[in-house]
Amino acid sequence: MIEVSHLVKSYRDLKAVQDVTFKVEKGEILGFLGPNGAGKTTTMRMITGVLPPSSGSVKVAGFDVFEKPMEVKRRIGYLPETPPLYTDMTVRAYLRFVAEIKGVKRAQRESEVDKVATQTNCGQFIHRVIGNLSKGQRQRVGLAQALLADPEVLILDEPTVGLDPAQIIEVRELIKSLAGKHTIVLSTHILPEVVATCQRVLIISQGKVVADDTLQGLQRTHAGALTADGHPGPAPSLEEIFLKLTSA
Amino acid sequence: MSNAIAIAKKELNIYFATPIAYVMFTLFVVIGSYFFLRLLGAYEQASLAYMRFQSPEMMNRLNFQDAIFRNLFGNLGVILIFIIPFLTMRLVAEEKRQKTIELLYTTPVTPGEIVLGKYLACLAILVIALALTLTYPLLVQFNAGDQNGVEWRSVLLGYGGLFLMGAAYMAIGLFISSLTESQVVAALITFVVLLMTWIIGWTAGEAEGWVRDFVTYLASVSHLDSFSKGTVDLKDIVYFVSIIVLGLFATNRAVEAHRWS
Ligand SMILES: Nc1ncnc2c1ncn2[C@@H]1O[C@H](COP(=O)(O)OP(=O)(O)OP(=O)(O)O)[C@@H](O)[C@H]1O
Ligand SMILES: [Mg+2]
Repeated sequence: MIEVSHLVKSYRDLKAVQDVTFKVEKGEILGFLGPNGAGKTTTMRMITGVLPPSSGSVKVAGFDVFEKPMEVKRRIGYLPETPPLYTDMTVRAYLRFVAEIKGVKRAQRESEVDKVATQTNCGQFIHRVIGNLSKGQRQRVGLAQALLADPEVLILDEPTVGLDPAQIIEVRELIKSLAGKHTIVLSTHILPEVVATCQRVLIISQGKVVADDTLQGLQRTHAGALTADGHPGPAPSLEEIFLKLTSA
Repeated sequence: MSNAIAIAKKELNIYFATPIAYVMFTLFVVIGSYFFLRLLGAYEQASLAYMRFQSPEMMNRLNFQDAIFRNLFGNLGVILIFIIPFLTMRLVAEEKRQKTIELLYTTPVTPGEIVLGKYLACLAILVIALALTLTYPLLVQFNAGDQNGVEWRSVLLGYGGLFLMGAAYMAIGLFISSLTESQVVAALITFVVLLMTWIIGWTAGEAEGWVRDFVTYLASVSHLDSFSKGTVDLKDIVYFVSIIVLGLFATNRAVEAHRWS
């Protein structure tokens, strides 16, 4: 569903992303990990077409992001690192507007807005002005916006940042429930979240891919030395693998 | 096109959710009324004076249209220079600063639709502001009865000219807003540019020959005046329309190019 090949992005002499290649199959949830400044946000912005790559290409549902941008935009829901909110609008007016520019027909607009508001628990504050909401509430409005019009592909940049523990669990459940029909790439610094929701893990460090495997696969590759009596050592946690791969 | 309408509705929603639109209407009407009342007072005095000296030929030369509305439109045009920078400053600059432009870039909306939608929204504000000042000619019409009433043709042409001038100023403001992330910078530069189009006319008197004609052509106020005199020329319309087209085209390029920065 998403094909990223040899993606490079340099900012002057800084190489933010260096030759990143990976694929995400339809219906898969990919956990996108890496330390601060690794290039996660930069890669996601290139996948959604916000940022043109220095070289390399991205295809979403078979369409090249820069040759057929409209086809890609119709299929993608994107939650950027900073939720793109108009602080002077109410949540409802904002979601209506996004539904409209995403091409949701007038007859379905209200029900579509209500649906995503329920999914992300925005119901209680849907009539309030976005500028007056708390950080977590704004994050949920940002997530609701990405879900509007039921896009096939979801690119979520740290979707649970700023949420309270109960909301984190609900958003995790929501993301899991979207698997299968939707293809999801989600970046996060909360490793248990990846264990709970993702089938595959992609770790980048300093702009380069250092791991691309299923969780079990990673654990197998990085299993400790055999114990004295010949049994395999205890499976390392994702945290241990992450630290080992990104410390270099 | 439906996307442009959606963007326009969103911009209007924000204009009316914040005090900007209301403050602008109030300023426009209050300052406009002040000028109107002063012009009316001056006219009254002049006609009283002529009546006392019983000079009918002077009386006839005192044209109501020229004395009041032509001056009034000139004054309203100058007020536009002061308020339009505040209306256009946030249009693109704020989207860039708040990163909401990323939302527009990832939804199936073209840069052209973004620019058109934003432009339509500020034109709507302009139309409302101008419509509020229609009270002046209506007041005159009601009080004057039919003798010495309002020359509606010239008045409406004057409004047409004001609209075109405001629309041209807004295209300039929109373009400048697309060059920066700061609303304050956008407003300041727009104000200076609009002011230049006005005061450049002052220097025309010092020049001669084709330079003089050229400078006069560049000055926006001279084009407005021919509308309120009731003598519209194609060159005046061409002047405003070319600024509008150029401004929108340049904004479109700036919005497209922003991604490459
Ligand atoms: N507009 C920019 N201009 C210059 N450098 C940039 C720009 N955007 C990002 N960078 C640099 O590119 C690198 C990757 O940044 P990116 O935002 O992709 O990291 P990230 O993996 O999302 O980090 P985090 O976990 O903190 O969100 C960083 O070193 C950052 O400083
Ligand atoms: Mg990031």
